[in-house]
Amino acid sequence: MKIGKMVTDAAPASSSRSKLINEKGFFSRLTDRTSESRGKLLIYGSALLMIVAVTAITLFLTVQGLRSFVVDRLNFWTFITGTEWFPDRAENPSFGAFPFIFGSMAVTFLAALIATPIAIGTAIFMAEIAKKWGAKIMQPVIEILVGIPSVVYGLIGLSIIVPFMRQHFGGTGFNLITGAIVVGIMILPTVASIAADSIRAVPDSLRQASYAIGATKWQTIWRVVIPAAGSSLLTAIILGMSRAFGEALAVQMVIGNVGKIPTSILDPSATLTTIITLSMGHTTTGSLLNDALWSLGLILLLISYVFIVIIRFIGKRGEKR
Amino acid sequence: MIQMEKNIVSFTNNTVTKELPIQIKVENVNIFYGDNHAVKDVNLPIHEKSITALIGPSGCGKSTFLRTINRMNDLIPSARCEGTIGYKDVNILNPKIDVVQLRKEIGMVFQQPNPFPKSISENIQLPLRFAGVRSKKILKEATEDCLKQVGLWDEVKDRLDRSATSLSGGQQQRLCIARALALKPDVILLDEPTSALDPVSSSKIEELLLELKNSYTIIIVTHNMQQAARIADYTAFFYQGELIEFGQTRTLFTNPEKQSTSDYISGRFG
Repeated sequence: MKIGKMVTDAAPASSSRSKLINEKGFFSRLTDRTSESRGKLLIYGSALLMIVAVTAITLFLTVQGLRSFVVDRLNFWTFITGTEWFPDRAENPSFGAFPFIFGSMAVTFLAALIATPIAIGTAIFMAEIAKKWGAKIMQPVIEILVGIPSVVYGLIGLSIIVPFMRQHFGGTGFNLITGAIVVGIMILPTVASIAADSIRAVPDSLRQASYAIGATKWQTIWRVVIPAAGSSLLTAIILGMSRAFGEALAVQMVIGNVGKIPTSILDPSATLTTIITLSMGHTTTGSLLNDALWSLGLILLLISYVFIVIIRFIGKRGEKR
Repeated sequence: MIQMEKNIVSFTNNTVTKELPIQIKVENVNIFYGDNHAVKDVNLPIHEKSITALIGPSGCGKSTFLRTINRMNDLIPSARCEGTIGYKDVNILNPKIDVVQLRKEIGMVFQQPNPFPKSISENIQLPLRFAGVRSKKILKEATEDCLKQVGLWDEVKDRLDRSATSLSGGQQQRLCIARALALKPDVILLDEPTSALDPVSSSKIEELLLELKNSYTIIIVTHNMQQAARIADYTAFFYQGELIEFGQTRTLFTNPEKQSTSDYISGRFG
């Protein structure tokens, strides 16, 4: 009895010591409910997976995209500047991707041109003029619009905008500006929602300062709030542009898909994404056309990276001010 | 207790030799935030070209009252005012008042320095541009003039194009005062202008205010009783939304009429 008691007395002392000094290894700690290791594993693992995925996609696309130049001996320069895209010609097929690069750029910039003024106007209305109404009704509506699948926008473009263009401007109605309008409407909610957030982020003290020096509401919005939100507004626009740049389906449904450089905004055209989605299905892996499409994909990725770098750069500059 | 206060506080700058004419006459002013009766039945004269300090513990309604004088409370949807604030033969609280014009005549400086994230010169020029001034020459002269008035000209004259946010806190606050001066207002309202600043910057602002009172009527809300005693000609003590006592600063601090005034200035609460 006595000995047994002595032993139980001694036990707590040693276990309290082991609580302070953790001698368990990483994996045995995973079974311990109170340990941080599980959370660490989950978070570090997620981050690692993300990095691996991005790197893998980039690497895979690079390897596949370079095949047409390395294996098939296409000239890189003539590939990106060439204007003739005749991959199916039995004799002397030509791969000039410039019409698609041009088409993508044109759709992106025209879409931004259409969407920006309306989006910023909506954002100002939501964040500065009808604050309650904006937050309660418009913000949710816009978030729903962001979530509508692009095919729906394409369908609306196909059944409303295409006939409208055909009636009023002639031609088939499938053309560059129709594509830009559809994509412009599609990116509108994205840009408006981010722009509204950036306007809301402008500190109230600046608005007060402006009113206190006898500014009207309009002067306050235009000369104080918008400039103060400046760089994040630009980020919103570029984010919208990168979305426009990557859009395939909605554009493909209305742009006409002609691999030539359009001479006017009413000419049918094609983009990097539309030509990939249209052609990829009927090529065989390893064929020349298949490789060429991968190269288009690589170009798409690189330009998307440029957009991200621009956003980062603007964000940094905005922080410094 | 009060005897002690006399020794601590020095009244060097604020001996009122003759009563100055009244510029703003506050009569029976009540301010509500929704159901909250924030300011109760205040009557107060504001004398021309003098400094009037509003003191009192936090939440006593002094800032609310100050913000009513240039109708900044209009920006708060639930705020409601009753009574009259007489200024230039009109009632400031009249709904028909052009608040934009009113704020050009009654400027304001806030607790936190809030320069615009633009260049130093643009900060001074923006009020003028808002008022429709286009002439480059006038804008330039006004910039120099206002910066000289607040003693900032020599410190920033070589970097007028630099961002105002690159200035120190005290400099930013003086820039904000200069910005308020740009439209040559009659009255300047200051809402605890030194509470976010270090002691050296604070004393610079105090000196500046003593200079400015020769040309402008100044109303200052302050938490700091010593500050009120140092610079104010008149002091109003607010407590729980009511104006407890108003008078010449020296009288109010050395010989207060009400018990709560003497309790507050002697540091028994607050």
